[in-house]
Amino acid sequence: MTIKHQGQQYRPRMAFLKKIEALVKEMQNPESGIKMQSQRVMITNIPHAMTGNDILQWIAQKLWIDNPEAQNLGNFVVKYGYIYPLQDPKNLILKPDNNSLYRFQTPYFWPTQQWSAEDTDYAIYLAKRNIKKKGILEEYEKENYNFLNKKINHKWDFVIMQAKEQYKTEKERKKVDRYTLNCQEKAYWLVHRCPPGTDNVLDYGLNRVTNPNEVQKKTISLIRKEIMYYQQALMRPTVKSSVSIGGIVKYSEQFFSNDAIISGCLPSNPWITDDIQFWELNAKLVDIPTKMRVERWAFNFNELIRDPKGRQSFQLFLKKEFSGENLGFWEACEDLKYGDQSKVKDKAEEIYKLFLAPGARRWINIDGKTMDITVKGLKHPHRYVLDAAQTHIYMLMKKDSYARYLKSPIYKEMLAKAIEPQGISNRSVLIFRSSIPFRRRRLQSSLSPVIVRQLEEEAKAREAATTVDITQVMSKLDRRSQLKKEIPPK
Amino acid sequence: MAKEECKVLLDALNRVTACYRHMVLSVGGTADSQNLREELKQTRQKAHDLAVANRNNLTAALKDKTVSKEDKAEFERLWVIFSTCLEILETDMKRALELGLEFPLNVPKKHLIQTGLSGGTAGVAARAMSVQNMKYEAEHNIDEVDLKDLEQEIHKVGEMMYEMEMKVNVPQWTVEAKQDPGAELKSTISTGASSGGFVSVEERKGFCDISKLLAAIIFSAVLIIAVILAVCVVKLS
Repeated sequence: MTIKHQGQQYRPRMAFLKKIEALVKEMQNPESGIKMQSQRVMITNIPHAMTGNDILQWIAQKLWIDNPEAQNLGNFVVKYGYIYPLQDPKNLILKPDNNSLYRFQTPYFWPTQQWSAEDTDYAIYLAKRNIKKKGILEEYEKENYNFLNKKINHKWDFVIMQAKEQYKTEKERKKVDRYTLNCQEKAYWLVHRCPPGTDNVLDYGLNRVTNPNEVQKKTISLIRKEIMYYQQALMRPTVKSSVSIGGIVKYSEQFFSNDAIISGCLPSNPWITDDIQFWELNAKLVDIPTKMRVERWAFNFNELIRDPKGRQSFQLFLKKEFSGENLGFWEACEDLKYGDQSKVKDKAEEIYKLFLAPGARRWINIDGKTMDITVKGLKHPHRYVLDAAQTHIYMLMKKDSYARYLKSPIYKEMLAKAIEPQGISNRSVLIFRSSIPFRRRRLQSSLSPVIVRQLEEEAKAREAATTVDITQVMSKLDRRSQLKKEIPPK
Repeated sequence: MAKEECKVLLDALNRVTACYRHMVLSVGGTADSQNLREELKQTRQKAHDLAVANRNNLTAALKDKTVSKEDKAEFERLWVIFSTCLEILETDMKRALELGLEFPLNVPKKHLIQTGLSGGTAGVAARAMSVQNMKYEAEHNIDEVDLKDLEQEIHKVGEMMYEMEMKVNVPQWTVEAKQDPGAELKSTISTGASSGGFVSVEERKGFCDISKLLAAIIFSAVLIIAVILAVCVVKLS
């Protein structure tokens, strides 16, 4: 009695299985099917063997395809276990020569969508094999055996009983049939519990929630659900394909020169020439960025804000304009969204105290409605509680400060300073490499990410400490002047 | 002793399950025939009878409050074995139904899969029914007629399993196996014969015995003759 758990327990549709089955059934036709031979094993002949070449030619001729495609299809048929090789059972490919023999697998052992190869059955098979080979199993089989012993320990008595019974039952058949049955079962388990090193062709990811074999009765509630689904689908905003394709074309044209694969990268592609200058020049917070990078900041605001160096430069600009807290708030929100779940509550509170509370040290200017929503949300903080405020600030920076930044002297200076690396041609690199054939190249490793993060946090802390926020200063001056005004009368 | 009875019944069910699975393996292949379907039907009925008997016994034993703790643990273990056996039987029956639908025997257009098996499963069926020889006449279209019965039977088994799960409260995972890994190696009776070997090992073993006996007889005969000759020589000289 399996306790049927709710949730994901169904295998997905496997439509390819039916297609292969149809092909395999066609192969059985005595007139138009594959020519059969018999396999010679010691003193007996076992019928129903085919050569690889015969299979290949039959597939090519039946489906009107050429040899490479027939080879590919034949490989699939063998891989999924419908045909198994007789001489080299572990190598599941179709060898198109006249010496390698194959045989059809019995329909019970065909892969099906509804029934997966169960652990209990595998355990019984391993126990049977243990008896047959007197304890000499392969390494991975031994491991699986021990693992299954622990996993389905409560069924283990049954496994042993059943294995012994099945072993004795097989004795009732002829020796020839016993040999064939053994080959069949071995082939089945080579497909469904593949040895390490081969890939599992029947891997389909996770189990699904809905049963594809279920035939749903058309009840009223089901039809109501369908109507609701289609109505929502109609309400979805759609974009004309001419517009969306135009957008893609524009994007491609703009970023064409920046793409390392299409337009090549300067100085040289590190994967090809083993020269890591490209990565060093484009490090996150390098002192002098490359020209291509700085030009990219002018494409759109997202590029600027996603590049750490661009953010740094933008921050300098905003400080001059006395709106540095905007970017600070945006960065804090990003940190909240992508940081630890356990720190969400604390971080949200800190951000509120620092940026949003009335009279905060680095108060940001957002409209009343957004402030209301945010304050309400902060009662039950989660990762995305500051999303509305963050979007507002983002749009503010984009529409307002970004345009001014691009015209500012900071940006222009950065553009002028930016380096254009020289491309190293492949030939010079090859000469360079061949001239020092025996010297071991010392590979310099970049800074560990842990250290990089520590440096970033220190920089942030320093900045937070030194940020003087203008309203505080103004209020201090105000208070001092008020005090001065008060004292003289006394 | 209720325990012994239960064990015997369970062994019988185990044997029938193994035989049934062995026979379902050949469905759809060239070794398939009306006989096979008939054998499947009979084995299935026997399995059903045994399952019902087992269930009655075990439920009675588990409901009995007067059994000792170890006995109860033993009965729970037997219950888990029984339920696993029934699961496997149900799966095999469902697959037999599916394969039976896909590979009808009397349609000339639908060919059976050439799997290389040639022998019959009469011996297996006999083992399942615990008789020496199976005497049956397979009807002409048993494969189609049987499928409806098979469907009903699957329903019945499904219901039985559901009932069992609802009525008897034995969590499966609490049962500990009595046998260690590798226990199957210790008590296999057959020696020497690996069933993968197609050389007639068993015959050779019998042959060896006979040859050893023969050699012993010849040796002793030669010894006696040598002794007699020596005595004669001594007497003559």
